Amino acid sequence: MSALLEAHGLVRRFRGLAAVDGLSFSVEEGQSLAIIGPNGAGKTTAFNLVSGLLAPNAGRITFRGRDVTGVRAHERCRMGLGRTFQVVQPFAELDVLGNVMVGALFGGGAASVAGARAEALRLCDMVGLGPKALWPVGGLTVPDRKRLELARALATKPALLLLDEVMEGLTPAEEREAVGLLHRIRADGVTLLLIEHVMSTVRDLSDRVLVMDYGKPIAEGTYAEVSRDPNVIAAYLGSEEATA
Amino acid sequence: MRRELVAWLAFIAIAALLPLALASDPYLMLLANVMLMFMALALSWDVVARTGQLSLAHGAFFGLGAYTVAIGHKYAALPPLAGLAVAGVVGAIVAVALGGVTLRLRGIYFAIATLAFGEVLRTVALQVPDVTGGTIGISMPPLFGGDRVASYYLAGAIFLLALALSLGVRYTRAHYAVTAIRTNEAVAAVMGVPVVLTKVLTFVTAAVIATLAGAFYMPFITHTDPHDAFEVSRSVAALAFPIFGGIYTSVGPVIGTVVLRSLEEYLRVTPPWKEGYQVVYGAVIVLAVLFMPRGLVGLASRMRARLSRRPEARIPILGSGR
Amino acid sequence: MEALPQTLFFGVLRSGLYALTALGLAISLGVIGVVNFAHGEFVMLGAYIGFWVYLLLSGPLDLGPAVSPLVIALGIPLSAGALFVLGRGVFRFTLRPLLSRPELDQMLLTFGMAILLQNLVSIVLSPQAQDASLGWRFELLPLPGGAISVTYARISAFAVSMALVAATYVLLARTRLGKQMRAVAQNRLGAMVVGIPVDQVYEVAFGLSLALAAAAGVTLVFQTQVSPFLGLSTILKAFSIVVLAGLGNLFGVVWASLLLGVSEQVISQYVPDGSALRDGLFFLLIFVVLLARPGGLGRAR
Repeated sequence: MSALLEAHGLVRRFRGLAAVDGLSFSVEEGQSLAIIGPNGAGKTTAFNLVSGLLAPNAGRITFRGRDVTGVRAHERCRMGLGRTFQVVQPFAELDVLGNVMVGALFGGGAASVAGARAEALRLCDMVGLGPKALWPVGGLTVPDRKRLELARALATKPALLLLDEVMEGLTPAEEREAVGLLHRIRADGVTLLLIEHVMSTVRDLSDRVLVMDYGKPIAEGTYAEVSRDPNVIAAYLGSEEATA
Repeated sequence: MRRELVAWLAFIAIAALLPLALASDPYLMLLANVMLMFMALALSWDVVARTGQLSLAHGAFFGLGAYTVAIGHKYAALPPLAGLAVAGVVGAIVAVALGGVTLRLRGIYFAIATLAFGEVLRTVALQVPDVTGGTIGISMPPLFGGDRVASYYLAGAIFLLALALSLGVRYTRAHYAVTAIRTNEAVAAVMGVPVVLTKVLTFVTAAVIATLAGAFYMPFITHTDPHDAFEVSRSVAALAFPIFGGIYTSVGPVIGTVVLRSLEEYLRVTPPWKEGYQVVYGAVIVLAVLFMPRGLVGLASRMRARLSRRPEARIPILGSGR
Repeated sequence: MEALPQTLFFGVLRSGLYALTALGLAISLGVIGVVNFAHGEFVMLGAYIGFWVYLLLSGPLDLGPAVSPLVIALGIPLSAGALFVLGRGVFRFTLRPLLSRPELDQMLLTFGMAILLQNLVSIVLSPQAQDASLGWRFELLPLPGGAISVTYARISAFAVSMALVAATYVLLARTRLGKQMRAVAQNRLGAMVVGIPVDQVYEVAFGLSLALAAAAGVTLVFQTQVSPFLGLSTILKAFSIVVLAGLGNLFGVVWASLLLGVSEQVISQYVPDGSALRDGLFFLLIFVVLLARPGGLGRAR
């Protein structure tokens, strides 16, 4: 059986500079993958390629056995590819519940607005936003916004969830809570693909790790294997990055 | 939702009975007809704006409708109602062509293309005088023999279509789609919203309504020419009325039409405004965008929130369907 | 085909004017990212200022064919200066607060300004189109050969337009301000990070954009009638050029203007019923270019 997600030879250039330069990897169902690497390594570009916001200059992407290279972003979402953004971007004119409902109605294919509302409420409760479901998003704290982002993505019923630096801006206590929540989501059958800088999260949540630098993969394996790889160490020491 | 629907039913009931009071005054009956026509135009512009798109072509579709009916009558002896139906189809086809290409791209391309579209239609109308009558224009016999009450109900039907569209986009899942799209298309797409399809559908339905309004206008006014049919002022009115009354609502475009169109009647005959009355529209648009972005409706809800002193009510939230 | 050299020459001359107008628009669009629907109205204001200069000069004095270059020489600094200041003010008080708001609001604002300006001028001055004295419009420059003839007005307008375009390019390529503008056009966040005062750059860029528009307006005085409503056709042509050159491609504007100017003349000369097509050319061009673009989703900014 083919992997849940496969990327083959992805290339993406911006005005002559290759942000992603020959990226290939695969994600097996139930085996969460973390992508790490110094800033500018091309991780977010890779996410944009996978979720369909950018078209690759070369390469292929298959999701659930189907070639989705030319398939548009909203179709991929309907197929089960969910995504959060590093800088949380809620729909400001809808309240918390309304935001989650967007995901439920379109990505998640809810049969009715009422059904979507019920599902959205359930997800808000699950992430801990239940009491604030009718709040305008302007009043939310940073961790609350992350919860909203998560609930909204979960509403699209993803088989694979792309998480872009979910831990950024959270205190250690909030991080622990988030990891707990993500474990529950994994247990519900969602495979995770994360971009992360917080190494403890990477260790806790991922089964395999892919290290990128200059748009290419430079190492792949378990967290233990990768953290000992001399290429990886060199890449991190070469930049001022790496919060472990 | 229920409250709004009830309010609209009451409005419709009053409007339906209005001719009883006005039928004796031909000027007021004329104005009532025109009001309904512009309300439909304004409502249809507002729907497109809900996806974050600026349509400067509403006046052009209006003119397209007018000319389609006139030409249909001239060459195929089409009676006005049949002409109306044909015009609707023509408007849909043109809108699909225009929107299909430009709505895939950034909003500015769509706006520019709609602006250019109007100019092109006017030029074409001028340059094929054999068909369109050129600068002299084109005529047809009056709608319903000049019966302004009968035409009022026809205009009312078109208005109801527009209202149905406007309320439909508000109270179905379309509301969530368009709000997401206008906030952030990329995030909307990633949440599963079919962005391009939604934008095209809203544009096409709105354009059809604008075309129908123009198709009504032609036999109502009996004569038009390219400068009248494709007046930029109609595209301006189509957006000034909703912005002033309250964008993204159904009541806003209606209120805006009543207030501004009545004002226009006064200005058109009063010096120094006269033909320059549009300066008021320009000023209204600029001031509204800067200081009153949600129009009169927004103003009213902000005042209500201040009076009730609930902090979360201050932001005009379209919410989760309350 | 005897008219070909004349036609091509005319096309080149017209493209000079278009380039000037389009460059101003390209700057506001490329550097600030804002669609200025009122750009044509600022060209119109420049034209009226040029017209006043003409009235002032031609009244008491009998300057002969030197009138047109003189009007241009005096009118341009005056109108460009005035509109540079106006542009900065307009930006500071109306556009800057809107930059964080959705694109629709910005477009509505500039569109509203366009309608406001057209009609304000129409009320305050006159809705009628006015002509600078016809005599000087048609006064021909004595040229050898006879294959090509051109009026003083057109040739001086062209020369000035190209000089201004060239000067603007030098500004963009060589000066610190120009480099800052290009940096901001390419990457706003990056520009802020390296310490470029982005807000000030925006303000100056907008002022510059309006100054160029005003200069273009002055060159129009001897080429066409001055009317409060000349903004619309001006802006459509400018937009087509900017779209053709590619959004953000400031240096490509000249080539796009040349293409448009020459094809416009060739079509109206050689294609039967050409003048009808000529106006539609711009729209067709926009449409075809947009069709050819690889459709992209999401806000590029």
